[in-house]
Amino acid sequence: MMKRKEQWNRWVVTAAALCCLGIIHFSLDRAVFAGVGNDDFDHQSGKLYRAYDAVPEPYLAADSGDRNLAGFYELRQYPGSPPRIPHAADITFSGNARDCLACHAKGGYSAEFAKYIPVTPHPENSLCYQCHVQKVTDERFVQSTWQSITPPRLGLSFLASSPPSIPHSLQLRENCIACHTGPAAVVEIRVSHASRGNCRQCHVPTVQQEAFSEFRRK
Amino acid sequence: MKGYHSVQALYGEDRLTKAKIRKNGEMVEVPIAEALDLVASKLKETRDKHGKDSVAIYGSGQWTIPDGYVASKLFKGCLGTNNVEANARLCMASAVTGFMTSFGIDEPMGCYEDIDNADVFITWGNNMAEMHPVLFSRMTANRKRRTGVRIIDFATRSTRTSQAADKSILFKPQTDLAVANAICHEIIGNGWVNSNFVNEHVSFHKGKTNIGYGIEDNFAFTDKDEAISFEDYKLFLADYTPEKVEKISGVSAKDIKYMASLYGDPAVKVTSFWCMGMNQHTRGTWINNLVYNIHLLVGKISTPGNSPFSLTGQPSACGTVREVGTLTHALPHGVVMNEQDRKHAAEIWDVPVENIDPKPTYHTVEMFRALDRGDIKFMWIQVTNPMVTMPNLKRYRNGALKDDRFVVVSDVYPTPTTDVADVILPAAMWIEQEGLFGNSERRTQHFGQILTPPGEAMSDTWQIIEVARRLGFEKQFPWGQDNYIEKIWEEYRRFHSGPKHEMAPYKVLRERSGVQWPFVNGKETRWRFNPKHDPACSNGKDFHFYGKKDNRAWIWARPYEPAAEFPDNQYPFWLNTGRVIEHWHTGSMTRRIPVLHNAMPASYVELNPEDAIELGVVNGEKVKIISRRGEITMPAQINGRGVPPRGMVFVPFFDESYLINELTLDAFCPISKQPDYKKCAVRLEKA
Repeated sequence: MMKRKEQWNRWVVTAAALCCLGIIHFSLDRAVFAGVGNDDFDHQSGKLYRAYDAVPEPYLAADSGDRNLAGFYELRQYPGSPPRIPHAADITFSGNARDCLACHAKGGYSAEFAKYIPVTPHPENSLCYQCHVQKVTDERFVQSTWQSITPPRLGLSFLASSPPSIPHSLQLRENCIACHTGPAAVVEIRVSHASRGNCRQCHVPTVQQEAFSEFRRK
Repeated sequence: MKGYHSVQALYGEDRLTKAKIRKNGEMVEVPIAEALDLVASKLKETRDKHGKDSVAIYGSGQWTIPDGYVASKLFKGCLGTNNVEANARLCMASAVTGFMTSFGIDEPMGCYEDIDNADVFITWGNNMAEMHPVLFSRMTANRKRRTGVRIIDFATRSTRTSQAADKSILFKPQTDLAVANAICHEIIGNGWVNSNFVNEHVSFHKGKTNIGYGIEDNFAFTDKDEAISFEDYKLFLADYTPEKVEKISGVSAKDIKYMASLYGDPAVKVTSFWCMGMNQHTRGTWINNLVYNIHLLVGKISTPGNSPFSLTGQPSACGTVREVGTLTHALPHGVVMNEQDRKHAAEIWDVPVENIDPKPTYHTVEMFRALDRGDIKFMWIQVTNPMVTMPNLKRYRNGALKDDRFVVVSDVYPTPTTDVADVILPAAMWIEQEGLFGNSERRTQHFGQILTPPGEAMSDTWQIIEVARRLGFEKQFPWGQDNYIEKIWEEYRRFHSGPKHEMAPYKVLRERSGVQWPFVNGKETRWRFNPKHDPACSNGKDFHFYGKKDNRAWIWARPYEPAAEFPDNQYPFWLNTGRVIEHWHTGSMTRRIPVLHNAMPASYVELNPEDAIELGVVNGEKVKIISRRGEITMPAQINGRGVPPRGMVFVPFFDESYLINELTLDAFCPISKQPDYKKCAVRLEKA
């Protein structure tokens, strides 16, 4: 069990290469105080309700088939890491970073890419380049033996008829609507019932950090 | 969340499948017939030696309707004691007395369809996002689909519901009384009173004041109503200007006026929702009255979307406890104090009318006090876990453990309550038996048996029947195991015949997914007191509040009075307790569901972030909470799903490893006798 925990810590430390310091600090806290769980971010569920209210129902239900899970993970070093920027962007760090949000705050159709635009679950964080990077070369400095962890299995329901649990941390991803509904959503993780807005009424966050221990009376 | 996974609750490894009895201090397995023999002989022996009121049964809002019915028939009808109570006393009693005092008849006038019709929802101390998630989603879906729908959360702590709401208004504990009066003050001051409605359908009343808190044993209180005029009522409200109430409640006068303007706008349909925040309140009956006052002044009641709606916390708190009347004063129809009601019951039950005692005995808190004192020596507990849920828990656990007390517990898993038992009877779970239950909107539903109970487990109804027969009441409990549920339902239904409460026949309930009573000439009633929907209306007017003798709904002048215990220099924090979405009450079932335990494995104490800094604790660090009754050390949660205001902590009560009720106070509403789990004083230490 301890071993798994160490892996988790290393996993978080690995994220240091890409994430801002404040976030790492918070993640370590979470790892240390396991048991308090996802609730650290729970007080931000207001975002979910506001997004649900703001997105028109037809858009929630629309499906373009533009994106699949393979492409989704291709943009990420490991599940949960910020995706790289898959298109040309002017990275100047000179105050125009908000331009990302012109498209990624609300989504919609992009004539330039002939695709629907994915929506960020955290539009309030406007310094996008702080975490999201571009790819300007395919070459490596030296080869790496890095292996990613296995992505969560799909359809992690506990019973045939029960809703899948939430297999990822909610940090920066409290807003389910952004990624799981709408025409830009990855087809494998689109919900079949986009018009329902209180997601965590049925879907339980279960980030598996250690082996499940059954409840036993002391 | 819980519903989807509930079936897994059947499969906990420690499921009780055999009966156990205490022999020389050890619990040993015995055949269930032997355990039932012992229950019957011990009950008889105790009754013979110490009198009929030395035995008691304590049930639950999770009792099926047949469970509660046979319990009442055996104890009130056959054994002649009114020692019948249920945990709904801890949960719904103030709602009942609220209805009885304002309308003279129990249970909501509206139905869930109100959600599809209202423009404004006001949640009064009610975290619906976690506690009534399905209804809550119906509300947010309506806000999304229709224009102009608003949700206002009026609460003492910020919750998921506050986050979903268009506006969150926080008030200081107990001051909802003052704010409700201030809203009425504004409604009258701005000329928003619906005079036609008030003149036709409302009368004004006042009751006693400074009514106490029931902290002492044998506390007694009877309210006395006095008719007053509208002018008297206006005079009473003069103390409750928004500006004055702002000082008491911490709610700005502007916000009070805003809420009043929503209730007052004739173009806006308003539904108020509440549950434990208003019911678990030492002035629970009063605050129920006061919210009805608001709706009555503006005539927003009994029409689609205009609804003061008291929600229920358990599946059959309405069906079993309120309708069957498994409370000390009640009968399946009416009350023990009324001779007609006693005669009616005796006739249906086939018992001498003298059997039914006209004097109520103990409400729940007093019943456990009587067990501690020794006035009650035998108690049978079914489908509930009082050794986690009783306030001021230590006293009642020590009482139950005393040498000559005999405690029988029927349950499905070991709990802190089976820990104090002398006999444990293994019970069938919901789909291992046939049964019926009744929900918040007067809907009765039938469920069939799908599985066979494991081992020797049997339904709670059948356990009572077995004991009743051993006590010589074969005549009153003659049914066979193949159709006893149908027979019991049809017998029980006779109590409710008539247009005010007619119940659907067994056959109809089997065919439909629930039927709302009154069910008259094949038609369900969605809005009571409204002649367009309710067949019991007979006055030829636009509404008929037939519950009260004057055919009017009653507005009550009820003042603000402080809580039984409040923060001071020694104990500077409020302690508030409640539930979480993952678990039912004490988690005896949901903690055995892997996905739910995994998501919410242990309880915690919510702190305000600034209080946490002052105390020097970060998320997950241990905090010691100390009240005048006990102390507990548990991990802190800061900026979790709920955030209390400064000076308050909140603890979920589901976790038997952290018995927060050892700290709570057993003060209750003198009218409803329902304890207040939301307010007592504590101090904190970094552990």
